[in-house]
Amino acid sequence: MAQSELLSIILGGIGTIAIFSFLIKENYFYRIFEHMFIGVAAGIGPILVLRDFLWPQIVEPMLGYTITAYPDGTFSAEYQPLYFLYVFPMILGMLYYSMYSRKHAWLSKIAIGVSLGASGALAIRGFFAEVIPQIASSFKPILVWRDGGFQAVESVNNLLFVAILFLVLNYFFFTLGRTGSVQSRTASWGRPLLMVCFGAFFGSTVMARLALLVERVQFISRDWISAIINVTGGTF
Amino acid sequence: MRFSHRYVYLLMIAVVAIPIVFGFSTKPARMISAERMYSVVENVSIVEGDIALVWLDFGPNTIAENGAQAEVLLEHLFRRRIPVLLLSQYPLSEGLLKTIPRKVADKLNIEMPEQEWKYGESWINGGYKPGSGNYIQSLVASTDISTFLGRDVLGMPIEHYPAFAKITGVEKIKLVGEITGLTGVFDTIIQFFQKKGYRPTFVHGCTSITIPEAYIFLDSKQLHGLLEGIAGAAWYGELLQRSFPQSSHKNLLLTNTALGAAQIAIILLIVAGNVVSLYSWSKRRRD
Repeated sequence: MAQSELLSIILGGIGTIAIFSFLIKENYFYRIFEHMFIGVAAGIGPILVLRDFLWPQIVEPMLGYTITAYPDGTFSAEYQPLYFLYVFPMILGMLYYSMYSRKHAWLSKIAIGVSLGASGALAIRGFFAEVIPQIASSFKPILVWRDGGFQAVESVNNLLFVAILFLVLNYFFFTLGRTGSVQSRTASWGRPLLMVCFGAFFGSTVMARLALLVERVQFISRDWISAIINVTGGTF
Repeated sequence: MRFSHRYVYLLMIAVVAIPIVFGFSTKPARMISAERMYSVVENVSIVEGDIALVWLDFGPNTIAENGAQAEVLLEHLFRRRIPVLLLSQYPLSEGLLKTIPRKVADKLNIEMPEQEWKYGESWINGGYKPGSGNYIQSLVASTDISTFLGRDVLGMPIEHYPAFAKITGVEKIKLVGEITGLTGVFDTIIQFFQKKGYRPTFVHGCTSITIPEAYIFLDSKQLHGLLEGIAGAAWYGELLQRSFPQSSHKNLLLTNTALGAAQIAIILLIVAGNVVSLYSWSKRRRD
């Protein structure tokens, strides 16, 4: 095992124990590692944007660094001056930082306005692309006939689906709300169905958290202990 | 009756640790949606120049489930010799984009020394891509994805790798995989990774938390296959082992067993808690 890998395993184990120490009580050991994690998580983003995106995909083509000059004086590709158009959105983006100046803070509103407009349009498009197929698929046949026969299980499934869909939609229907109407009397039926759904969500959340515990226990009991034994030469 | 919650934590750690320490594993439960995903990956037909695109959008916070899912999906794609382009929209997955495919390739190289799975042929790492929906839209609209991607994380132009040099359009991407526990990230793929005349064959590995939401997409056929947490990955591993008997997923089975043991312990604790509570209540009434 390489030294760097060994070091990362040992540090990872110490970090895990530090975070789990919160289960006993709040302590400095936990706090230090919590802040370290937040720092690393916040710091890695800008570096990756710069290294994996801004530099290779924007700056390099703009400055012509992607073009190779051959010994015979020819080039691997022709320089595209249109890449300089990237400068305009970059300037627009930089306007966000003007909010730190009282005098020029109004400039940031241009950037915010453009971002909001673009995000809004994108969200509308995304919403329809995501939701329309779901609405279409909720139109299910209640009696399913296929391959020359009645499909009882599928029919019951579809019936349940449609009934639950209507009852839950009805629960959130506040427009008419006339006391004593069929709508208002059946509205409460959606509530227990929602509770079942929340229960399923809660159960699956517990399962996900347990999966994390399992992975960490595996890491500590195998990788970390092995690394400690490796470092201490078996004297631990 | 009251006792410290620390005993519950200790009990859970002990329950989880027992199968792991003693190497005790059980057969995973059958998962229909994982089977569907296996069959989708198995039946993807590719010609030269076609690839699979797999987004690894998870970090250490969900590696327990998403890591195992990524491993089984990549193993299947590698075994089928489908070149895989790896990308991410999540900064914390940066290290995992390197280690997970390497781990899978090393496993296959040991298993079949006469063959080779290596970087640049079996997979390339396109790295972290910011911009979310905007970036995905541009990727889908591009008529030369190899040039659009530019360089991989090693700084090499994508055209340098023959298997990835001719991605002339999104139609060359025959399978899209998204492994994540972040519903917002998953949504952007559903929303924007499509254009007129093209909808990808889309498979997804989700965490247990996001299973209920993922089912909606499976039902509407926006998703073609789903791995549900560890259980889904474990069943996918089982299916791989049936097709490739030398493929072993012992670790995955241990994790799945430990998780099952923990769930049983939680159910017993809930039952015990309710029984004690009921007993105390009836005793109070009698008194």
